[in-house]
Amino acid sequence: MTVLTTLPTLAFAEARLLTREWAAMVFAFVFPPLMMVVLAGVFGSERDPEFGGVSGTEYYVAAYLGVPLGALSLVGLPVMLASYRERGVLRRFEAFGVPTLAVVAAQAVVTAALVVLGAALVLAVAAPVYGIPTVQDPWGVAAGFAGGAVTMITLGVALGLAAPTARAAQALGLLVFMPMWLLGGGGPPRAVMTSAMQSVTDVMPLWHTTAGIREPWLGIGDGGAHLLPLAAWFAFGVVAVVVLVRRRDT
Amino acid sequence: MSIQTIAHPVSPTVPGVAPVIVVDGLTKAYGDRQVLDGLSFSVAPQEIFGILGPNGVGKTTAVETIQGLRSRDGGGVGVLGLDPARQRAKLRYLVGSQLQTTALPERLRVGEALKLFTRLAGDVVDWRQLRDEWDLARIERSAFGSLSGGERQRLFIALALVNRPQLVFLDELTQGLDPAARRDTWRLIQRIRDEGATVVIVSHYMDEVEHLCDRVGVLHEGRLTACDTPQNLIAAAGGSVRTRFSAGDLDLTSLERLPFVDEVSRPGGLVEVKGDASTPVLVAAELARNGVIPADFTVVRPSLEDVFVTLTSGAAS
Repeated sequence: MTVLTTLPTLAFAEARLLTREWAAMVFAFVFPPLMMVVLAGVFGSERDPEFGGVSGTEYYVAAYLGVPLGALSLVGLPVMLASYRERGVLRRFEAFGVPTLAVVAAQAVVTAALVVLGAALVLAVAAPVYGIPTVQDPWGVAAGFAGGAVTMITLGVALGLAAPTARAAQALGLLVFMPMWLLGGGGPPRAVMTSAMQSVTDVMPLWHTTAGIREPWLGIGDGGAHLLPLAAWFAFGVVAVVVLVRRRDT
Repeated sequence: MSIQTIAHPVSPTVPGVAPVIVVDGLTKAYGDRQVLDGLSFSVAPQEIFGILGPNGVGKTTAVETIQGLRSRDGGGVGVLGLDPARQRAKLRYLVGSQLQTTALPERLRVGEALKLFTRLAGDVVDWRQLRDEWDLARIERSAFGSLSGGERQRLFIALALVNRPQLVFLDELTQGLDPAARRDTWRLIQRIRDEGATVVIVSHYMDEVEHLCDRVGVLHEGRLTACDTPQNLIAAAGGSVRTRFSAGDLDLTSLERLPFVDEVSRPGGLVEVKGDASTPVLVAAELARNGVIPADFTVVRPSLEDVFVTLTSGAAS
């Protein structure tokens, strides 16, 4: 069997398995729309300079497209991958001629599909409650979303390969995700943060993902400016994955 | 290459038939620890070959290196005429494998696992046929995480056969199973051979190896210290056959004069005669001739366990 036929077979099996992981599903699909509804409701539809001149509602609806992406990449994917390695599932596949990278790729493809689904769900919940803000720059949004997804998934793979056990992956994933969610677009707007918090925010890949989607969507800021830091994080993630796969082989 | 054998040479003697596995002076070290140090043996077609050894001696390293799953440091390995280090892609269509300490995703169902792996193997067998052959229909919708030890092993064997392999490796297949499940698994292993495959099993259960294997290699200090049929190993390294009975005040000198008797003693009131495999019959005949018919006549034959202890305690080297 070639890689081209192996990958869809594996991805299909992985997708079916993931739908049975209730905790991960709730975290990826219920938590982001819920937080979006609450925060967008709290800050209302008045335009506000702290939100870059748009309303809180618009800000959070657009920003929360990136939150399921973070949850799935930094928690769901690493836990799955680490548990596969811990329990010898990867070795079983390897003995079968399916390289670890094929399994990793299948999980990444499934995560990417779920990320799109998660974003769609945020919009589906927002539409009847707050309405969906007009997309000012669709290509900019697509670039921000794609760049963010590729980067975050690569970092999630690295996290999954680095964690010695599934529990460690969960702890590490939450430890990385929670601050990124709070400071990286899912919590208070950057303008109300202290300068120290802003500096932390500025290096977070999830911040550049949510901002990279939100800014072209609402026609504020310069969405393209976030692609460069994302590219740097992507490069870091690729190097980490290569190093970790090699370490496993030896 | 240096091999220590206690009976026959390592090559199975099937004239005109090429061995399925040839291992010649295989070496492998992890850092400073030399795990395999000149391992050599060969396996004939349709043999059940057992690799026996204490925990941590390198049995798993040996079979995984032979399959090409680990790189080797030195020596030669041929599996079905291929070099596993360079031709693993071809080999995987010919070899089935159950690795130690591997699992499946907890929520993967039995039927899904069969479908997935038969698909990955290129659909050379119908997964439904495997399901029915290995009695998995009843648990087809059960998740892997909910299966009993015996059910898991049955599934693993079925999965090792999805590519209709000519050679099957089974590593510690019955570890953690209850006696009934172990015996069921033994029957399955014999069935694999009866259907034409060669089987290599790795185990540290003596009874399992003795019951199943045509030949056994005992791995000790990185090489096989012995390699032969279980019966020959026992005869050569198992020690004496002991015959015990109570005989009142019977004069023991007639027993001492019997052929093949090594020693006659009276520990704890019972008479014990040590000798070879024919001794019990000769002793029984001698007792009967003297009109002594002991009700507690017992024969203790050496087992593979005795061989194992002798060979791995350093006595053999």
